[in-house]
Amino acid sequence: MIITNNLTKKYGEQTALDHLELEVKQGEIYCLLGANGAGKTTTINLLLGFIEPTSGSAFINQLNVQENPKETKRFLAYIPENLMLYPSLSAVENLDYFSGIAGKKLSDADLKGFLAEAGLQTDAFGMRISTFSKGMRQKVGIAIALAKDAKVLLLDEPTSGLDPKASNEFGLLLQKLRTKGVATLMATHDLFRAKEVGTHIGIMKDGSLRQQLVAEDISLSELEQAYLNTMEYKELVL
Amino acid sequence: MISKTFLKETRELMRDGRVRIAFLIVIVLLGVAALISARQYKNVNEQYELAKRSERAIWDNQGEKNPHSAAHYGTYAFKPKYPLSLLDQGVDKYAGTSIFLEAHKRNEAQFSAATDQTGLARFGDLTPDFILLFIIPLLIVLLGYNSFTKEREMGTLTLLKSQGVSAWRWALGKWTALFFPVLIITAALFLVAGIVLSNLDDFGVFSWSSLFIMFVVFVAYYIIFINIVLLISSLAKRSGISLVVALCIWIIACLAAPKAASNIAESKYPYPTRQEFAANVLKDKKEGLDGHNPWSKQAKLLQEQVLKEHGVDSLHQLPFNFDAYRMQKGEEHEAEVYFKHYNYLKDQYIKQSRIYKGLAAISPYLPARFLSMSIAHTDYATHWDFADAAESYRIATQKFLNDNFAENSEFGQWSYRADADFWKELPAFEYNPPELGTILSDNRSNLFILGIWLMASFGLLMFTTKTI
Amino acid sequence: MLSYNCKYELKLLLRSRWIQLLSIMLLLLFGFSIYNGLEKVEKRKRDITAAKEEVKENDAVMLKLLDSVEGGMEVSASPWTIPTSPMAVGNYHPRVAAMEPQSMAFIATGQADLFTHYVKPRVSGDDSALNFAEMTSPVQLLFGSFDLAFVIVYLLPLLIIAFSYDVLSAERESGSLRLLAAQPIRIQSWVLQKLGLRFFWLSILVIGSLTIIFFAVGLNPFTEMTGFLGLLGLIITYMLFWFALAFLINLWVGTSAKNAVALLGLWVVFVLLAPSMLNQLGNTLYPMPSRTLMINQMRDLKAEVTKKQDEILDNFLRDHPEYAINDTTQYRGFYHRYMASQKLVKEELAPVVDKFEGQLQKQQDWIGRFKWVSPAIIVQESLNQMAGTSTRDYENFRKQVVGFASDWRQHFMPFLYNNQDFSQKDYPNLPKFQFEQRSSASFGVIPVLLLIAIALFGLGFTVSRSSKKGNILTAN
Repeated sequence: MIITNNLTKKYGEQTALDHLELEVKQGEIYCLLGANGAGKTTTINLLLGFIEPTSGSAFINQLNVQENPKETKRFLAYIPENLMLYPSLSAVENLDYFSGIAGKKLSDADLKGFLAEAGLQTDAFGMRISTFSKGMRQKVGIAIALAKDAKVLLLDEPTSGLDPKASNEFGLLLQKLRTKGVATLMATHDLFRAKEVGTHIGIMKDGSLRQQLVAEDISLSELEQAYLNTMEYKELVL
Repeated sequence: MISKTFLKETRELMRDGRVRIAFLIVIVLLGVAALISARQYKNVNEQYELAKRSERAIWDNQGEKNPHSAAHYGTYAFKPKYPLSLLDQGVDKYAGTSIFLEAHKRNEAQFSAATDQTGLARFGDLTPDFILLFIIPLLIVLLGYNSFTKEREMGTLTLLKSQGVSAWRWALGKWTALFFPVLIITAALFLVAGIVLSNLDDFGVFSWSSLFIMFVVFVAYYIIFINIVLLISSLAKRSGISLVVALCIWIIACLAAPKAASNIAESKYPYPTRQEFAANVLKDKKEGLDGHNPWSKQAKLLQEQVLKEHGVDSLHQLPFNFDAYRMQKGEEHEAEVYFKHYNYLKDQYIKQSRIYKGLAAISPYLPARFLSMSIAHTDYATHWDFADAAESYRIATQKFLNDNFAENSEFGQWSYRADADFWKELPAFEYNPPELGTILSDNRSNLFILGIWLMASFGLLMFTTKTI
Repeated sequence: MLSYNCKYELKLLLRSRWIQLLSIMLLLLFGFSIYNGLEKVEKRKRDITAAKEEVKENDAVMLKLLDSVEGGMEVSASPWTIPTSPMAVGNYHPRVAAMEPQSMAFIATGQADLFTHYVKPRVSGDDSALNFAEMTSPVQLLFGSFDLAFVIVYLLPLLIIAFSYDVLSAERESGSLRLLAAQPIRIQSWVLQKLGLRFFWLSILVIGSLTIIFFAVGLNPFTEMTGFLGLLGLIITYMLFWFALAFLINLWVGTSAKNAVALLGLWVVFVLLAPSMLNQLGNTLYPMPSRTLMINQMRDLKAEVTKKQDEILDNFLRDHPEYAINDTTQYRGFYHRYMASQKLVKEELAPVVDKFEGQLQKQQDWIGRFKWVSPAIIVQESLNQMAGTSTRDYENFRKQVVGFASDWRQHFMPFLYNNQDFSQKDYPNLPKFQFEQRSSASFGVIPVLLLIAIALFGLGFTVSRSSKKGNILTAN
């Protein structure tokens, strides 16, 4: 579903992304780990077509992102790190608007159905977004993805700033989407959550993918060790 | 603390491209405006000198003539342009520049520049006062609207608070950073204007003190704007809101309030139309003595009275020409009629001025505008003063001519001709505009209003920044 | 996308109170300005009616006097005002030459505060003695009038700027743009739709509030359908121009603050600077001759003429033998000489006076050619024309009055030189002034304005298509 070939992005002398080779298949959750500036967000921006690659190419559902900016977006849903919706519209209205401009006409019952599926409590459906917490906004974001029937989900630090309970709920939602066959790419700092929800884990540094792991094969502490090794941290000797 | 904030703000402003461009534009505009005004000023004054000289020559070379014919022939009073009009053109464009002084009639100043221009002239002119009064306040709005809101938006406000800064010192630093560039532009303009004006030859009336007071008025005007803009910025939640509100204030103060004031003033205290005014004057004139009509009731009364005073029973026995005497008395009556009607106009104008002062409560532009025009001798009051001086001169001229007629001829001797040299004896019309002291005391209320604005805006700014 | 934008743009505008705020502002601004305009027009009409009434009353007195004199009775008036003398009628019983306001006069004060709307030309005195400048406080002229034209030309663009400067940048700054950009839409089209909808709603509000105000002040817009529609057309195309600029700025510039500054800069340029510069240039290229020097010339001429009065009269009579034949008394007095001299003065001064008219005409032509640099000028001029208060209208009035003054003078010439008394039966033949309106405003500027706006939209589209998408997401 998501494929990148030699995807490279340079800003002048600086290389933000260096020949990235990545594939996320249907029903996989691929977690990208890495420090700030490792190239995670650049990867997502390239997949969204927000920026042009210096070389290489990205594919969503076999379509080249740069050549088909509009078509590829039909298949994907995106939740930015800080999901901002229209504060003066309610959850239902926001969902209706965003799916509407994407070309999906939905009935009121459908809209509410998606919000419920995304785990938003019923009494919040008609409330304005300005009163929502980040976790609640993210649920609306998931509902947008559900409503769109997205094949690909791009997440940028979705759990940062969420409390553990909300974070856990979010993980369960992703699992649910996975069983529906959605391919998810999630950039995160959260090793624990990556191990919990991810099927695959990639560790990035300085714009290149240094290590790829299968989540099932390793324990959390092995993952942590692998991460720190990649970051070239020496274990403190006491 | 104050200097640190000042330096930081100045640095931020200098590094901001929009500030640099805005500054550059304002300076270029000021330069162009000053150049155009200076050229125009020189032009008008040359014409004025020429017209004054040739008019006097025409008067002096009338040749032998009956003094009353000369009175009908009349003469002109021309209004000069004053040096500070270079900075503020005021109402000059809309006020006439020449007054015809003739027997029996007080004329309005005629030929204002505006009547000889296209409708486009009503948009305003590219003159220094336009830049000083409109554009620089707009510049202040653009420079200062996000002074506080940007700290809020970038989150630096909480950081600053945690550093334990004293709010008003911090605000004062920001204030100085905004004030300083404005002060420099204004000071430079006034300095250049002063040097240019003092180096021209034919400037008796230019005074550095007037220029300085005008400078102070403008600086006060800008301080008010700076205070208002910073006040809004400190109260607003977002830069966008701050900008919109500050702009609204600018529009209301500089564009809407003056226009609304002019509409309200006109509908409450209207001037008569030119024709109405003339008709009213004519009606009053008819009720009194007409110097040319010996048969009227008033003329008969005058005749009886004069005969009784001199203890003679025939006009021929009087030691002067009664025709000329009657002419003079008629002139005095007409002058009185004009005095009354022009006083009515003046009254309306004073009442209108009160409306302008009332609306100054929502617009610091109004007192600043009136003060600067007064100091530049381009306001309506100076125009009135000039018109009054011309009228006094007209009355004196009529007396001068009628007296000559009365003393040198006998009753009924309309064929009398005064010497060709006689006309030169008439003193020339000289007009001196009010002194700076008089202007300032006449404009006490405007100074007072400007002062209130200054203090109130300062007070409010202090009060709100305390609680940031 | 459009239907959803339609639905939610209105919701957003209502919830952010924009619609409510704009409606109130528009109602207040339109209401106040139209009220002001109507008051001025009412005063103008009242003044003219009063002047005409006065003439009627004076005429009644004149006819009574004539009746008495013709009946051989003694009258108590001053001898030179008795209307059997044609010069007395010509001087003391002038007609009112009035410029009646047009039906749309209230929309723009134009030059109406500067010039008078009626004069009474007399036989004596020359045309330059006809003072067409109205008696107004120059302070009022300086500040101008709060009329509908001011609201439309100056304030409406500012409302539009406040309403549309951050359509895109606000989304970017709040973060919702990233989510939008992840949808299968083109951001340019999305901005265009948003602005288009805002333009639509603002147009509705403008039309609605104008109609309400028209009815509220007792005007029926449907009786003046073409005028009203023309006015609306002009306002709406002018609005479209500003929305087009907002579109360009939204796509090209960046942060809300920069957009606002850029749009305001454009406002200053189009509304304040362009007109004054154009005016300044017009004055410099075609400078008006000096009025003070004209006075000198006129004075010289008059002095000369006075000295040669007798000679002038002889010449005049030689040119007009008809006057010498019909009169048996051959009496020649002051007025015979005076009128002949006046005629000469007028002829001699004609080139000087024409020079003023000529220069004004040239300035006007110049502006006519370059007014396209700023739609503000076009709209102001068109509104003035619609209101019948443009410089050309007053020029037209001036010319007609000068023509009428000449007719008036000519009418009395045969009486004067034939030494014929004016009598009651001559009264109905007195010339009357009827002001002829110039053909009223053409709405040809509307399609041109429309084209300019569309061209700007097109420019925005083509240029932003070629620019990189990153520019839209991350402000420069």
